Amino acid sequence: MNTIKLFVRWRSPSILLSRTITTKKKLHDPSEDEQLPIFQYPISKSSDRRVYVWGLAETGALGIHLPRSKKSGKKAYRNNFNLVWHPMRSSFCERFDVTKLACGYGFTVAAVKTNEQHKVFGTGINTDSQIGYHAPRIGHPLEMLLSPAPIYIPYTSLETKITGLAAGRAHTLILTDNEGVYTLGNNAYGQCGRKINPNEEYRGSMASHNIKRLGKEKIVDVCCGQDHSLFITESGRVYACGWGADGQTGLGAYTNQGFPALVKGDITSEKIVKVASTVDCVLALNEQGDVFVWGFGLLGLGPNVQQSTKPKQVPAPLFGRNEFNPDSMITNVACGIGHLAAITNKGDLYMWGRNRHGCLGLGHDKDQHFPLKIGIGAHVLSVKCSVDHTVAMCKPFT
Amino acid sequence: MPKLQLTLAIIKPHAVKNPVALSYIRNVIKNNFVVLKTKRMILDAEAAGSFYEEHVEKFFYNRLVTFMASGSIDLHIMGHTHAVEVWRKLLGPTKVYKAQFQEPYCLRGMFGLSDTRNVAHGSDSLASAEREIKFFFPEFSLYNWYTNDEIRYRKGPILFNNHLFQHVRKL
Repeated sequence: MNTIKLFVRWRSPSILLSRTITTKKKLHDPSEDEQLPIFQYPISKSSDRRVYVWGLAETGALGIHLPRSKKSGKKAYRNNFNLVWHPMRSSFCERFDVTKLACGYGFTVAAVKTNEQHKVFGTGINTDSQIGYHAPRIGHPLEMLLSPAPIYIPYTSLETKITGLAAGRAHTLILTDNEGVYTLGNNAYGQCGRKINPNEEYRGSMASHNIKRLGKEKIVDVCCGQDHSLFITESGRVYACGWGADGQTGLGAYTNQGFPALVKGDITSEKIVKVASTVDCVLALNEQGDVFVWGFGLLGLGPNVQQSTKPKQVPAPLFGRNEFNPDSMITNVACGIGHLAAITNKGDLYMWGRNRHGCLGLGHDKDQHFPLKIGIGAHVLSVKCSVDHTVAMCKPFT
Repeated sequence: MPKLQLTLAIIKPHAVKNPVALSYIRNVIKNNFVVLKTKRMILDAEAAGSFYEEHVEKFFYNRLVTFMASGSIDLHIMGHTHAVEVWRKLLGPTKVYKAQFQEPYCLRGMFGLSDTRNVAHGSDSLASAEREIKFFFPEFSLYNWYTNDEIRYRKGPILFNNHLFQHVRKL
């Protein structure tokens, strides 16, 4: 048997060879070339977006869970999948056109471009129903979602578009183009903009609150602190509600504010176009694209933890401005609880600070003392930092 | 072997709401202490105010009270030969912003969000531990426990009941 097999294998090439020699040579026809299909790699559209996520995956905030190795049963996921060390492409955002993203404490919400009911998706911690009511079994609401699930919101019309998203420690604000703001989640301090009920149970709650207008004006922007919310109206007025124990609502009192009220002080006469609120260290950006930093933490000015009361510039060469790239400048900045991020006009992301649960995406969990470029294979447009995970919205290179 | 000391741990609302943090903290407690009692409750503003009445004049009093009243908290009475000291060591420095750089792997360094949202409360001395236990567990008698049950928790046999999250006597 063996000898026959060997014989066949040995003979076959010579058969092929003899056939190619004996076939008649074709004459080259130039018109046929044009009819041939041309192979082209798919080129992405300018509207295509990619989303990269990294940090603590245990809470489900990244919307990723990796399958277990093939040996085990059918529907098994890796249960020791805790951290994502490097930026990882989110597969959810490949299937939907994601327009807006927001990160809260252990959860992420994403708005999708669609004319259907489910315009906002959420994933992560859901102990305060901040990403809606999800109960596969009646009466047993989920406390954690490992992959994105649609959030039910009672829109009056399906044509409504989501124009803004914001997420705090345990609440979510959804800004629509002509239906005002919908709020979800914890209202213990009034951060959802409704009456505070001290005995309210937030776990498994189906409540969502709609704030149509503030002072008869349309709301154009929303922003969340950890436990307070800020709203900007068309004429540039700022409204605030939520926890005011440190004066973060700006209402002239240290009490909790249940319904959004006009922020007092010097800004009443100004037209405000943008507000930002995070925790601890402050980043500022000027028109030339230089970054200034102050506050407490690893500010990117040296290897020691420091407290700076005056704004100091982070040297521009650290963000890639050198002889070869003299026009490189920072276009966007973001900060989380102890880590900071900056995006250049070339689409590079630089991060530094406290590396809690690997949220810097450097491949380790050591703190980073100076800005370092993060390895993302796309043009970064915006970045959202949370306490322990980071989400970046990017554009493909080609 | 010296007698067991008792201390009170209060897990603050934001950590109770984070299942990942809570399971980590509970593991730490389970592996280091004998847990006598566990209770989950919602503190109202008046109760929180009277619990922290030693801080009434401090600038952070209002912040602390409104925060503690914002959700459910977990209470654990824990025993160890150096309970007060060990629990404060595991928690790390009170200031979270300092803690996360000085001791990145203590509980406050890992899960703390700000100086108020600093994961958990630990009694600072034996006397205050007794006062706090009396405040939250009026039915728990320290004298009875030390005279009758202390020896069993020290020498056994006891078991850990995961459902109650406390140690019970082995029958």
